Amino acid sequence: MKNNIIILGGGQAGIYAAREIRQNDSKSNIKILGEENLLPYERPPLSKDFLLDKKKEEDLYFYSSDVLKNENIEFENISINKVDFENKKLFAKNDNVYSYDSLLISTGSENKKLTLDNNLKNDIYYLRNLEEAKKIKEIVSNKNKITIIGGGFIGLEIASSLSQLQKKVIVIEIGNQLMGRIIPKQIADLVQNTHIEHGNEIILNKQIEKITKKNGDYGILLNDNSLIETDFIIAGIGSTPTVKLFENTNLKLDNGIVTNQFCETSIKDVYAAGDVSNFYHPFYERNMRLESYQHAQNHGICAGKNIAGVKTEYSSIPWMWSDQFNLNLQLTGICDEYDEIIERGNDINNGVIYFFLKNNKIRGACGVGIIGKVGRDIRITSKLTEKDNIVDKQILSDQNLKLNKLIQK
Amino acid sequence: MSEENWIEVGSTDSIEEEDLIRFDHQDKTFCVYKLTDGFYATDGICTHEAVHLEDGLVMDDEIECPMHQGIFNIKSGEAISPPACEDLKTYLVKVDNDKIFIKID
Ligand SMILES: Cc1cc2nc3c(=O)[nH]c(=O)nc-3n(C[C@H](O)[C@H](O)[C@H](O)COP(=O)(O)OP(=O)(O)OC[C@H]3O[C@@H](n4cnc5c(N)ncnc54)[C@H](O)[C@@H]3O)c2cc1C
Ligand code: FES
Repeated sequence: MKNNIIILGGGQAGIYAAREIRQNDSKSNIKILGEENLLPYERPPLSKDFLLDKKKEEDLYFYSSDVLKNENIEFENISINKVDFENKKLFAKNDNVYSYDSLLISTGSENKKLTLDNNLKNDIYYLRNLEEAKKIKEIVSNKNKITIIGGGFIGLEIASSLSQLQKKVIVIEIGNQLMGRIIPKQIADLVQNTHIEHGNEIILNKQIEKITKKNGDYGILLNDNSLIETDFIIAGIGSTPTVKLFENTNLKLDNGIVTNQFCETSIKDVYAAGDVSNFYHPFYERNMRLESYQHAQNHGICAGKNIAGVKTEYSSIPWMWSDQFNLNLQLTGICDEYDEIIERGNDINNGVIYFFLKNNKIRGACGVGIIGKVGRDIRITSKLTEKDNIVDKQILSDQNLKLNKLIQK
Repeated sequence: MSEENWIEVGSTDSIEEEDLIRFDHQDKTFCVYKLTDGFYATDGICTHEAVHLEDGLVMDDEIECPMHQGIFNIKSGEAISPPACEDLKTYLVKVDNDKIFIKID
């Protein structure tokens, strides 16, 4: 039967879903509606190689328009501002109406904004999309002292890139460590040291009281009364799922769109995938929301299969990375449910990994090291986590013993 | 191609099965693999962001990059999982008297 399938949100999850649907269903109409006037592209380079000019816009696209054309996948640049789930319709600002039989919501997430009591709203920059990355890149070329508000992954990656562009960078973080509590403090400190070694200033435990502007420069007053003078401000203070559109509908929301392990939402024929979805993970037996490249891809593919009628459970072990200076940090599984932590290595040159265990089984791990040094062990850890066996802690903690011994066991 | 292009990498027992070694020659880096059915060779640097694949994980016929988990087929060099999208160059390998040679062009 020929269906009208609409994918709302033309990002990573959306494009992977579209291609997967087509692989399993040659007849249905597949249409992606995206508010960015760009084919789906990779976001990770925006804070890294794109700012450093090592990657150009044309390097970022997942697939060319030819691939979409060959697979008969339509992409329309439009912003949807109303949904009617009952009558299966989407409405755009320009009065266009789109009817669907199946809908995938892949609207991603959006940056939290600072609340400021003066009218400097437009003076603070954020980074989520290519347009913002281009703007930042252009403006920083004339700036020297740049302040990043928020010491999360994206803020720190921007700090690393701008430092490599010879800028003086200050990072202000409200918490007592970088990258949030989920990252072991020891790993956060290793990353912090690398920033400091490269000349970045890291300020922890400080809140912003006020931002003022004078002669085009800014003064940031902190809660200990210190004043940071700076000529450009970028904020990276976290993100929220893009669900405003669904707030007054029947769609079940709770930190994103609630979905089961088949990417199905509370409404029949409506699916969600990627950053926007708070999905049930059957292995961890709980819901979670992830903002990661690999998840957006695999979750999109899984949603595509289910939409095409190939019932498929999503049980991928989470994984994400962050690149800062010559460091590569990786996280696998979950690191917030454990009764024991095991440390492997203590030298960033050989890689440092913290394993999180519960009932003697691995639930997740976080590692950091000079590029290339933790990837293999983190990948093996994902496999060990999936196997769900009791592990030999001696092997985990001793860097001289190869982790793949545990897989072969 | 002439015989001279066969470069000696090392002895066959220098690589464990389902593993790889890095081999540098002049200004180039290669990875030489021992799979269940023999030896194979590819460029040693990931096509995505120039990290050494020697630290990657060999699984079946695939090498997974340690930086962003891009995956390549060792035998064909094909990039089979993003973010890697450009194929990896492969090289002919021969074994002679328990020594591994790769053909560099
Ligand atoms: C700067 C940056 C760096 C990152 N670095 C890393 C990294 O190093 N490693 C890692 O694992 N992950 C990283 N990520 C995260 C990763 O890129 C995301 O998790 C991934 O892009 C999520 O894919 P998605 O399809 O869910 O959402 P997105 O790719 O964000 O796509 C959602 C799309 O939907 C559109 N949309 C929203 N609402 C509407 C509407 N009403 N109508 C039409 N269109 C709409 C949006 O404009 C957007 O184009 C990074 C993200 C950013 C922003
Ligand atoms: S450097 Fe190999 S996948 Fe990115």
